[in-house]
Amino acid sequence: MPENAGYMHAAYAVAATAYTLYALSLWRRRRALRDRAGRLRDTAAADRTRRDA
Amino acid sequence: MSNINVALPAAPATVAPRSRPHWLSVAAAIAVVGTFVRALWFTPLEALQGAAQKILYIHATAAFVGLYLGCGLVAFASLAYLWLKDERADRLAESAAETAFVFLSVVLVTGPIWARPIWGTWWTWDARLTLTLFLWFVVVGYLVLRGAIEDHAMRARYSAVLGILAAVLVPFIHLSVYLFRTLHPMPIVLKPSAPSMSREMATTFAMAFASFTLLFAAFLRSRYALGTERAALERAAIEREDMAAATGGR
Repeated sequence: MPENAGYMHAAYAVAATAYTLYALSLWRRRRALRDRAGRLRDTAAADRTRRDA
Repeated sequence: MSNINVALPAAPATVAPRSRPHWLSVAAAIAVVGTFVRALWFTPLEALQGAAQKILYIHATAAFVGLYLGCGLVAFASLAYLWLKDERADRLAESAAETAFVFLSVVLVTGPIWARPIWGTWWTWDARLTLTLFLWFVVVGYLVLRGAIEDHAMRARYSAVLGILAAVLVPFIHLSVYLFRTLHPMPIVLKPSAPSMSREMATTFAMAFASFTLLFAAFLRSRYALGTERAALERAAIEREDMAAATGGR
């Protein structure tokens, strides 16, 4: 039987890394979007306060 | 400084301030880890190829998900958009294309890693490999095109056409091993007769198909939600700018 376990481990490591990085990318993009939404909410609240004052 | 004296729209309610991981993402992560453990430690070695054969559990399943589910869904959603002009269909096509890109990239990297010890070369320009690489470039082109066009309707229409053209390649890729002389192995799972492998290997393959399909669904759901939130936020920001412009000069 050929001895080629290194290739197998490399392939599994590459696949796991690719899927993990994509999951992280989705999480980071969503977090950035929520930060932006939060800033927009804060600005709107500040506008309302200024208007009421 | 602008003198805003009307209530401006805040961030949309669809953008939740914080959320826990969705159950689908958790289930997919557990299933994929379970598949990796079973494939690496609890599945017998193939006599001729040795450990390298186990690469096929992640390579063939990534190909199945990327080609048939990913590109198939891009085509379906693109057709739905062209017919209904519903932006949700466009968003689904975009999400499926990005997810398919990830799986196709895994296919194109794990394939050569398997080929090196088995064929003695990392790459050969045979029909299936070349067509799959070509499809990968078309999917990259699809994503680049979406980033390059500002107008929503035009972006959705052009990318729908490209998405359908990309999916046209899929049957050719599937049949390429029958139509052309190729080094690539014939299908061992997706073929008319029963899979040509032992029961343990077939179980691992079935588990890999199920878990990577689940992972695709989790990525797709998450990417679609991201697209929905982004669109809602863009709408809110545009409304806000419009209202500020309308009232700022008074």
